[in-house]
Amino acid sequence: MRQFLVIGLFTGAIYGLLAVGLVLVYKGARVFNFAQGEFGTVAAYVVWVFHTNGNAPYGLAVFAGLLVAVALGLIMERLVVRPLFDASRITLLVATVGVALLLIGAMFVVGKPEARVLAPAVGGRSLDIMGAAILPQQVLALVILGVLAAGLWLFFSRTNLGLAVLATSQDPLATRMVGISLPGMSRFIWGFAALLGGIAGIVAAPISFVTPGFMTTTWLVPAFAAAILGGMTSLPGAFIGGELVGVAQNLGIYFLGQRLALPGPSELTVFALLLVVLLVRPQGLLGKEA
Amino acid sequence: MATRSARVGDEGPAGGETRRETGVVPIPDSADAPTVTRAPATEEVATRLRSTRSLPAKAAPAGAPARGFRLSRVGIASRATVAALIAAGVLLLPIPLDNVWRSRMALAVIFAVIGLSVNVITGHAGQISLGHQAFVGIGAFMSAYVVARFNFAAGFLAAGLTGAMLALILGLVALRIRGLYLALITLAFGLMAENTIFGIRGFTGGGAGAPAPRPALFQSDLAYVYLCLAVLAASLLVDWRLLRTKAGRAVVALRNDERVAATLGINVTQFKLLAFVVGGFMAGMAGSLFAHWNQFVQAEDFELRRALVWVLMAVVGGLGSRAGIVIGSAFFALFDFVVADIAGGSTWHLPLVGDVLVIILAPLFGAFLLLLTLTLYPGGIGQQLLPVRRWLAGGPFLERAHRPSREKKEERD
Repeated sequence: MRQFLVIGLFTGAIYGLLAVGLVLVYKGARVFNFAQGEFGTVAAYVVWVFHTNGNAPYGLAVFAGLLVAVALGLIMERLVVRPLFDASRITLLVATVGVALLLIGAMFVVGKPEARVLAPAVGGRSLDIMGAAILPQQVLALVILGVLAAGLWLFFSRTNLGLAVLATSQDPLATRMVGISLPGMSRFIWGFAALLGGIAGIVAAPISFVTPGFMTTTWLVPAFAAAILGGMTSLPGAFIGGELVGVAQNLGIYFLGQRLALPGPSELTVFALLLVVLLVRPQGLLGKEA
Repeated sequence: MATRSARVGDEGPAGGETRRETGVVPIPDSADAPTVTRAPATEEVATRLRSTRSLPAKAAPAGAPARGFRLSRVGIASRATVAALIAAGVLLLPIPLDNVWRSRMALAVIFAVIGLSVNVITGHAGQISLGHQAFVGIGAFMSAYVVARFNFAAGFLAAGLTGAMLALILGLVALRIRGLYLALITLAFGLMAENTIFGIRGFTGGGAGAPAPRPALFQSDLAYVYLCLAVLAASLLVDWRLLRTKAGRAVVALRNDERVAATLGINVTQFKLLAFVVGGFMAGMAGSLFAHWNQFVQAEDFELRRALVWVLMAVVGGLGSRAGIVIGSAFFALFDFVVADIAGGSTWHLPLVGDVLVIILAPLFGAFLLLLTLTLYPGGIGQQLLPVRRWLAGGPFLERAHRPSREKKEERD
């Protein structure tokens, strides 16, 4: 029981990492980005190719992975997001699902459906925290999540660029009137989101396996639940939401799965949590307009 | 209505007319579309709600002859001949085929029914559903469960009803949760159904799956194709008739703008749920056909990836266009087999058991087509079929160029 709580906290860190990127895209483009997980998968795969397969230094491999992720984000922005700038947000959402499917498919063709192990950034034996075995990599994930959430919160509340991102989504016309380039902001948002997705993927990969679509199939829906629980627009909310979803999911696995022997306890918990939050408190814990 | 159609509406009175004539919807709209132009939507809703009898010219159905165009006898004869040839072609096609292709054709027809069910919920009512595998899957498992205890007819009916029931539950959720959030909750719902409901051992046999024998009458592949075709015909009929009734117009009205629809006295709750129930019933029936097509059901057949393919085949086919969706669905159903054939595989059964590379090609290619459809050809296949459709319905093959100014004059006269 206590182990499940601790494991939940550290699993939640990965949800939080993905959720931070989702929140950024929502703040800047008012859309749910279903391709967020795939930025991570691709980045993790590139790191595997360079580091594990090609023996390049870890730092260089990570740099390459993030570079590829950002390039992907910019290409997606140019080819998919820009033409749909005036379209309904649901249309754009379906398009991001399309991008995710396309990337998963491309990963299958390029990388073949194999499970690959990516070496962690910080090695060493697993730590014993209250009876649960926690990898150093998971601790690192939590730290990175904290830094990113705090950094992005400062970015949005203290810098002009952050304000411009918010303005883009709230009133495009007025934003253009004050001299902010909408395509430029759009490029920035999607490139930055891809960078965050890439970081999430590279951090999460050593904890699970690198398979095509691994970030989307296992991590994305709980990450959405985390972002919504946190309020969809709040970065501290994404952090807290990630932790709460992680803990709730592991409690679900413990109570529903182990005690009641229900199949699929983690999906059931996430769905129930999402449903309750959206019905009872759709604005989330820390959500507000902007 | 979202900006895309608002843009069309802005072109003047002719704008709304063009849109109605195409009968093709780009993609569902949501209540939270950023900017909304009210006027054209209101106008359209009002026009649609007026009885067809009092204003025949205004409320002309999609594909109706353009004004000032009269059919000659030769025109009528040629159209009737072509329509009869298409119908005969589809009906007689299974006979010369071998059993492998008959079975594939049955799957294509089943996919078409699924595509139509996506169309009712997403195309007509504008409620995005990324968890369609829940409805189809529950139908499949329910059918297998009931067939083992009663008979096929009961199983088929039970499949439709459980599909409708599950969709009704999701519809109740959709009353409160809209737009982007609905997309997410349907996705999570589908994943939950896939892992939890389809994993219940007593109902679905857990991971082992359950047998779903065909009834004696439809044992052969040939008879089974005709059974599937009959269900497809019924679904097409329901979809067609639905849109011609007050209920259908109300459903479309709430897709365009829920608030405007409500102010016009449309019971939003009732008609939204109606769309979910009709779509869920079709999906459940398709699930039953799918189960007995394969003669075995397992949870792996109802993966998220497959649900996404079903959504994208409806979008690529063209939401709102029956013919487009049937063609799009058949394309995605047959894609795996054709690729497997070309690659030299002999997987006539579910391609899931075959080479993994084969099953991923459909989503890969499909995703590419989806993005192409969304960004460049919003009407999908249905839009491309429009001239044929207009011609068959008794209009000219090519539409004359629309001139808003002249239209305006005509209306004033």
